[in-house]
Amino acid sequence: MAPAIETAALTRRFGDFTAVRDVGLRVEPGQFYGFLGPNGAGKSTTIKMLTGLLAPTSGTIRILGEDLTANSPALKQQIGVVPEGMALFGRLTAREYLRFVGRMYGLDRDTAGQRTEELLDFMSLAGEDRKLVTDFSHGMQKKLALAAAVIHGPRVLFLDEPFEGVDAVAAGTLKAMLQRMTARGVTIFLTSHVLEIVERLCTHIGIIHRGELVAQGSIEELRERAHGRAGELNGPRPLEEIFLEIVGTERDGSEAAHPPEELSWLS
Amino acid sequence: MAELMQPGLMQPGLMPAAGVQLAAVAWLRWRMFVNGLRTGKSGTRSAGGIVLAVVLRMLLWPIFAVWILGPVALSGYVGWSAIANHQPTWLLALMTGIGFLWQFIGVSGSNIAAAMPTFDPASLLRFPLPFGRYLLLRLFLGLLTPSTVVGCLALLSAAVGVGVARPELLPVAVAGFGLYALANVFCARMIGIWLDRVLARRRGREIFGGLLAIVVVSFQFVQFGRVRHVHMPRGHVPGSEQQSWIIATALRSAHAMHWLPPGFAADSVLHSASLAAVAGNLVLLAAWAALFLAGFGVRLHRQFLGEYLSDSLAPAARRSTAARRAPVRPVPQQQAMRSRFPLLPALLRKEWLTLRSNSGQLMGLLTPPIFVWIVSRGSFGSHPDYLLSGAVAYAILGPMSAAYNVFGPEGPGVQLYLLAPLRLRDVVLAKNIASGMILMAEAALAWVIAVSASKTAIAPATQVATALWLIFVLLANLTVGTMRSIQSPRKFAPGQSNQMRSAPTGRTSALLAVALVLGSLLLQVPVIRIGRHLHEPWLGVWVFGALAAAGAAGYVMLLMHVDAMMLRNRDVLERELCGV
Repeated sequence: MAPAIETAALTRRFGDFTAVRDVGLRVEPGQFYGFLGPNGAGKSTTIKMLTGLLAPTSGTIRILGEDLTANSPALKQQIGVVPEGMALFGRLTAREYLRFVGRMYGLDRDTAGQRTEELLDFMSLAGEDRKLVTDFSHGMQKKLALAAAVIHGPRVLFLDEPFEGVDAVAAGTLKAMLQRMTARGVTIFLTSHVLEIVERLCTHIGIIHRGELVAQGSIEELRERAHGRAGELNGPRPLEEIFLEIVGTERDGSEAAHPPEELSWLS
Repeated sequence: MAELMQPGLMQPGLMPAAGVQLAAVAWLRWRMFVNGLRTGKSGTRSAGGIVLAVVLRMLLWPIFAVWILGPVALSGYVGWSAIANHQPTWLLALMTGIGFLWQFIGVSGSNIAAAMPTFDPASLLRFPLPFGRYLLLRLFLGLLTPSTVVGCLALLSAAVGVGVARPELLPVAVAGFGLYALANVFCARMIGIWLDRVLARRRGREIFGGLLAIVVVSFQFVQFGRVRHVHMPRGHVPGSEQQSWIIATALRSAHAMHWLPPGFAADSVLHSASLAAVAGNLVLLAAWAALFLAGFGVRLHRQFLGEYLSDSLAPAARRSTAARRAPVRPVPQQQAMRSRFPLLPALLRKEWLTLRSNSGQLMGLLTPPIFVWIVSRGSFGSHPDYLLSGAVAYAILGPMSAAYNVFGPEGPGVQLYLLAPLRLRDVVLAKNIASGMILMAEAALAWVIAVSASKTAIAPATQVATALWLIFVLLANLTVGTMRSIQSPRKFAPGQSNQMRSAPTGRTSALLAVALVLGSLLLQVPVIRIGRHLHEPWLGVWVFGALAAAGAAGYVMLLMHVDAMMLRNRDVLERELCGV
C-alpha cells in the first residue's frame, strides 16, 4: 500500500531564505505522526505545502500515492486540515459554518445537517448557536476548526496545534476520537509543542529544525538513537529529553549570547 | 459519531457537484451579510445605532445619488444624442470615458465590498475546488463594487439612449455594450489581481501610492474647458475648431481607440448597417474580453497552485530580528520606575513610528494641500470669506477619518492598553494629540496656501473666526471620533495590500466625520450673512468662539469618562479587534 504522505526533497524558499530544505517525509496509512520542531523551524510551512495551500519551490508531495500538484482538488476531498490560523469565517455561527464546510466537501444537505448537529453535540458547542464564531473563545474556535476538518470523513488529517486552548475535558474526548480514527485507518499528521500529548498519541515522530528534517521514525527508534548517543541504560527516556537532545545540540549560538543572568532585574 | 469514524465516505476522486459548491458559497455570502447586521453578542444592533446609521445615510444619500444617477443619466443622453445628432465620435468618447473611469475608480476608489464584513476568497482554496470553479467564484465574489454597478448602469442607460434615438439599434447596442461591460469586469479583475501581486511587497505599495497620488493630482491640472488657440484664417468665425485641448488630443488619438474595446463597442452600433461589420466588432470585443479573462486567469492559477505573494518579506524580517539583538545597556529597576510620566511620550513615539513606517499614508497627507492650491487659484480665490474655511475643511476632511478608528490599526495590540497599569485617558489623549497634530499641520498648510492665493486680503475677523471654527471642528471630531473608536472599532491594517483600497473607518463613522465638518462649514454662511447685515464683522468670532468653548468642554468631559467608557466597551474592542 502506498504511503499516506510521502515527500521527496521538499524545499520552500522565501526570497533568499530557505524555510524548508530537502525534507523527505514518509507516513504510512493509519499512523499517528507527530511533527515536532522549535518555533520557526518550518512546521507550518510544511503543513501548508502538504495541504496544497503553498506551492513548494522544489520537490514532490504524494498524498495517498497520488501527486498533490497534479491532483490537488481530488486529494483535498480526502484530507482534513486544522490550519495554523484556523481559517474560520468569523461572521457565521458554528452551525452555519459546519453546514457550509460540509456542503463544500460535497455532502448532501441532510448529511451535512445531521453531521453538523452530531459534531456540535460532541464538541459541546450546541448551546452556542446564537453566537458568531468571532465571539467564541480560542478553545471553542479550535474545537470548531477540528469539527470542520473531520465533517467529510477525511482519510488524512493535518492538525496544527489542535489542542491549544482546549480545556482538559474536551481535549481528552478529542484525543480519544483521534485515536479511534487512526484505528480505523485514518492517517493523522499532528504538530504540537506539548510533547506529552505527542508522546501519548503519536506512534511516529518527525523532527524538523531550521528547515531540515533531523530525525524521523517510531518513538522507539528515536529512543534507541538517543540511547546510543547518551549511553544511558536507565529505562525509556521521555520524548522531551530526546527532542531537546536532538534539537538542543544543534542550536546556534544566539540563545547562548543571552543567558538568563542578563535578566538580572527579574526578581 | 460512528459515521464520522468511517474514513473516505466520499468516493475517492469524486468531486462535489459544481452547483452544490457554488450554492454553498452564495449562501455563505448571504449569511455573512445578514450576520454582519448584528453588532452585539445578543445578535441585535442597538436602536440608537440603527437610527444614527439610517439618518446619516438619508442625509448623504443625495451625494451618492448624484454619483450614481449623474453618470447614468449623462450616458443615456450622450447615447441618444450621438445617434440622433449623427455624432459618432460622441459614442466613442462615451465608451472611452466609461471604460477609463470604471478602471480608474476600481483601482483607486472606495469599494463597497471592502466595507462589508468580508473574507479572503483565497481561504476557499482549502476546499476541493477545481480551478474553473474557483475562477468562477473569484469572478463573482466582490462583484458589487461601485465602479461595476455604475459602469453597468451607465452602459445600460447608453444602450437605452441609442434605442430611443433609433429603436432598430437597440439589440446591437445591448449586445455590444453588454460585451463591453463584461470586458471591463474582466479587465478590472485582471488589473486587481496583478496589482495585488505588486502591493504584496511594501516597496510596491509605496511606489503605487506615490504614482496614484501623482495621477490624482495631475488630473486636477487637466482643464477640460481650456480653449486651444488655433490660428485661423482672417475673417473665420470661431466655432468648433476652437476646442478644448484635451478633447482635441482625444480626437486625434481616436483612430487608435478603434482597435481597443471602447472602439469596438461604439463601432458595433455605428456600423450596424452591415451585419458582417457588427459581427466582426462583437467578435473582436469578445476577443478583448477573453484576453482580459486570460490575464486574470493566469495570475489566479498561480495563486491556486499555492503561490506566496510576498516572497521577499522573510529576509527583511530576519534583518529586523538581528537588529533587535543589539546589546542593551542594563537599567536598574528603581531607575526605570523613576520616570513619573513615561506613558505619553512613549505613546506619541509609537504613533510617530507607525506613521513613519507607512509612506502611503504620509503621501496621502500631501495630496489635500495640493488640491487646495489648485482650487484656490480658480474662482474660489475671489471669495475670501469662504476660501479660508473651505480650504481648511477640505484639507482636514480626508485625514479626519483616521480619528474615528484610532484603535483599528492596533488590532489585538489593544489588549495591552487594557492589561497594563495605566490610565486609558492617557492612551486616548496621546492618540488624539497625534491625530490633532496631523490635522493641524494639514490645516496650517491649507491656511498658508489659501491666504497667499486669495485675490483679496482676508480680513482679520474672518481669520480669527476660522481659527475658532477650526478648534471647534477638531475638538468636536476628536470627541465623537474617540467615542466611535471605542464603541465601533474596526480592524484595519494600513500596510496590507488587500486593505489598501478600503477605508480606515466604517461607513457610519466616515459619514459622521463628513457631516460634522461640512455641517459646521455650512454654518458659516448664515453667520457671515447676518454679520454683514448687522455690520458686525466679528460676529463669527463670537459664534465660533462659543462653539470652540463648548467643544473644549465636551472634550474635557470625554477625557474624564473615557476610562469607564473603554472598560464598558472592552468586549466590543476585544471582539472586533482581536477576533477572527
